[in-house]
Amino acid sequence: MRLAFVARHSIAIALGVMFLCPIVFLALTSFMSSDQSLTSNLWPTSWHPGNYVEVFERTPLPRYLLNTALYATGATLFMLLASVPAAYALAKLRWRGRTAVFVAIVCMMMLPPQVTTVPLYLMWANYGLTGSLWPLVLPMLLGDAFSIFLLRQFLLTIPDEYLDAARVDGCGEWRTLLRVVLPMARPGIAAAAMFQFFYAWNDYYGPLLYTSENESAWTLSLGLASFRTLHAVEWNIVSAATLLTMVPIVVVFFFAQKAFVRGVTLTGVKG
Amino acid sequence: MPSISRKMAVIAAIALVSACTPGEAEKPVASPGTEASGTVEFWHFFTDREAKAIDTIVADFKASHPKIDVVVKSGQDDTKMLQAIGAGQGPDIGLSYSTDTVGKFCASGAWLDLEQYIERDGVDLNKLPATVRSYTEFKGRRCAMPFLADTYGFYYNKALLPTPPRTLSELTETAKRLTKRKPDGTIERAGFLPLFGFYEHSPSHLGPAVGAKWLNDDGTSAIGSDPAWLELLEWQKELIDWYGYDKLEKFRASLGDEWSADNAFHKGQIAMMVDGEYRIAFLRDQAKDVKFGTAPLPVSDAHPDWYGGGYVTGNVIGVSKTAKNPEAAWELIRYLTTDTGAIVKLANLIKNVPSTTDALAAPGDLGNDPDFKVFLDIFAHPHTSTTPPSAVGPAYEEAFATYLQKYQAGKGGDPGPGLKDVDKQINQLVQLAG
Amino acid sequence: MTTLAQRRRRDRLTVLSFMAPVLLGLLVFLVYPLVASVYFSFTTFDLVNTPRWVGLRNWEHLLQDANVRTAAANTLWLVAVLVPARMLGALATGMLLARFKRGAGLYRTLFYLPALAPPVAATLAFVFLFKPGTGPVNSLLAEIGIQGPLWFNSPDWAKPSLVLLGLWGVGDLMIIFLAALLDVPKEQYEAASLDGANAAHQFRYVTLPNIAPVVLFAAVTGVIQTLQYFTQAAVAASVASGQATTGGGVSSTFGYPEGSTFTYPLWLYVVGFRYGALGYANTLAVVLFVVAAAVTVVLLRRFRSFL
Repeated sequence: MRLAFVARHSIAIALGVMFLCPIVFLALTSFMSSDQSLTSNLWPTSWHPGNYVEVFERTPLPRYLLNTALYATGATLFMLLASVPAAYALAKLRWRGRTAVFVAIVCMMMLPPQVTTVPLYLMWANYGLTGSLWPLVLPMLLGDAFSIFLLRQFLLTIPDEYLDAARVDGCGEWRTLLRVVLPMARPGIAAAAMFQFFYAWNDYYGPLLYTSENESAWTLSLGLASFRTLHAVEWNIVSAATLLTMVPIVVVFFFAQKAFVRGVTLTGVKG
Repeated sequence: MPSISRKMAVIAAIALVSACTPGEAEKPVASPGTEASGTVEFWHFFTDREAKAIDTIVADFKASHPKIDVVVKSGQDDTKMLQAIGAGQGPDIGLSYSTDTVGKFCASGAWLDLEQYIERDGVDLNKLPATVRSYTEFKGRRCAMPFLADTYGFYYNKALLPTPPRTLSELTETAKRLTKRKPDGTIERAGFLPLFGFYEHSPSHLGPAVGAKWLNDDGTSAIGSDPAWLELLEWQKELIDWYGYDKLEKFRASLGDEWSADNAFHKGQIAMMVDGEYRIAFLRDQAKDVKFGTAPLPVSDAHPDWYGGGYVTGNVIGVSKTAKNPEAAWELIRYLTTDTGAIVKLANLIKNVPSTTDALAAPGDLGNDPDFKVFLDIFAHPHTSTTPPSAVGPAYEEAFATYLQKYQAGKGGDPGPGLKDVDKQINQLVQLAG
Repeated sequence: MTTLAQRRRRDRLTVLSFMAPVLLGLLVFLVYPLVASVYFSFTTFDLVNTPRWVGLRNWEHLLQDANVRTAAANTLWLVAVLVPARMLGALATGMLLARFKRGAGLYRTLFYLPALAPPVAATLAFVFLFKPGTGPVNSLLAEIGIQGPLWFNSPDWAKPSLVLLGLWGVGDLMIIFLAALLDVPKEQYEAASLDGANAAHQFRYVTLPNIAPVVLFAAVTGVIQTLQYFTQAAVAASVASGQATTGGGVSSTFGYPEGSTFTYPLWLYVVGFRYGALGYANTLAVVLFVVAAAVTVVLLRRFRSFL
């Protein structure tokens, strides 16, 4: 037993170090002078914590942070509002056309975004919403294919016996979903919410397309791309800004991953 | 359920119709002497310090044109501009990073034809060098004006060679002489790294050495029919074979990033290279102990009298089709591209080459810098050439570059038919883009 | 006492109340762009003027476009290798982490960290570490006597290196597997070991069936996302060739080295937005959609028991 414990932790630590290396590289680069960044000299010869200050001096980082937080939170909330009920209907309700609709939802992920943006951009321009983050947040009210698929798969693993019990007790489907299913589906919902949040947080192409002409709506990812002169990128400042961008979501992740531990244990119903 | 699918079809059709942009009628040009006024929106791609330089010049403009207000948006790229124009919005004035957009924007009408404004206000286009004029117009439509230029020439390490080579064979001989190998045969220092795709060594930048032509007058590709390209490829292949392609690639893979302080020329790992005028500032900043010299591009042995030129390209600026205030937009463009004071000031701030003959004649501080002066001379030289605008933007350069990647690895077969195939690809792409 | 018809209608209304927003979403974000895309694929379109109908010309060109062949081959290679590799990696790391109670949060965060980094910066850092001359990976390998390959600079190793990059970022997939693994009722494991099943049997007969829906999800979304693999390949190529760029910049020697990282979505983007042939780009998009749909339908059918 002790051997297994040591072995497990050793492997995990070794893997952890490997996963960490490139991030450490970014951290080291963030303290370098701009002359030393991206050279073979990996350890800073002189330390420049002022790089972090410079990030704040050169860009309105707090505003970008606020925009990013609004985008990520809004997108995640809207996504959950639409996707959880849909995933439930696809997983646990029986109706004609269910498989076809499910396949169609999966198909939503298959059109390359480079071409779907062309007709969609025109649509948003006609509604006067370009120059803001709305074209990125509002569509979440109509569901997100990836999240719906993920949630559906998680909901499938919940034994029907629980739902039947609730229905027998007189619960309608909405009641069943909210009272019985949601607590049991916490890991899946946490995963889907986290994915959406982090995707929106690091999304570059979306904000670039819809908000680049309106700097007051810029997100952190756009700010990251602005530390360049005509011919060169200032990787030390970019690295500092990158790490600053990561701090909030690392914290969010650290606290959110607890939700994966099952709160309610299922006892011997299946099999 | 037929009724649902019919409804969906109707909705899709309505959506499609709403997606088509209404055509904008071109506004008539105002009569001469009318003073332009109002607000214009100016998009450019610079960020940070260079954006501040632009702001300085725009402030000068506003001071001398108090009736015009300019809203500047930095960090905008070509794709964004095109999508905005396509959606009926977009800036009044757009500044594009490269000349690739000129062909596309002229052909599609995304940028207005400025000819009427030029005629009305008597702008003398001869004040623009011929190459600059050529990369700001397409098929007779002048939809762009040149902003600032980049010139590409030759850099050499003075500690290793006192005078630069003037012909390709001199370059080969010097490259071989200056190459140092380690005992195991791998390259320690290369005299010249002839791989296409390495740093700024591209067919566009090396083409002027042999006077190679890119496009025929009708817009079709001339790569397969111009023997100059074969001359360049043969010269390059000979040098690559001397080094050994695998050893060369291994050496190249070990070199630092072009834009870092580990740049191979900065570290003395290559003795000579082709690069732009901006490299001077980098060298002075990051590699103070490297004694470098600047020179024009070496030329083909058959035409030693061509020596003195190089490659030139630049930023371009134009008025959008969807501009709300084209008159004021033209005023700003005229100022930025023909006012000698503004051009010289901006060129000195951003350290680029000014694009009019007047500015070149009196370029301020830039002219006092002997290394930079070489590039000013290259810019004005008759044998300097550029990459012509095309309806498919950089397609011809990139189709050629893709073939060259295979060719220099020895997997491209015979260059004669290979280049003709490249021609075919390019011509088909031109057709596809309409 | 409700009639059968009343109950049926109530059921349908219930389903509608759950599905309405998503059904509308299907119209706006699937049907509309898909119909538009198919339409544009038969036109010449430059974004500024109304599209001009050209019939089958784009489609004919597609059939003999050498770049499409190269790009499709690269993308399909990635689908065949990257997707299974990531799934195995996610499963293995998920199973490892599922055992931890103490320090679980720390390890999970460490393993997930690469997925939290912005993709461009993350790819740049990873590729830079692997650069043959300046990065530490080959120096470390040399210390233990191994002559490292040229990684992202070698036409033969570039795509495997991209797989390594994908494995480095496997944290996002691992989290999903972890959640599914933690969902497996412990009683089933207890019952199985009481029946005398060893670890391998328990994996096959307890773990796998329980996590199967999530495995299928990973396979299908993995295929769809890899068919659209673009940014990392473009950034890796630009860093490897010595011209690291930021933002969405695609350098003009894309596909370095020797076209080995030239993926299908990259060609689609270049043709549509750099060369201005948006009609043709839509043709490429429609083909991509059809391939993705075909593979997905095959996967969903084959493993329909996990549906």
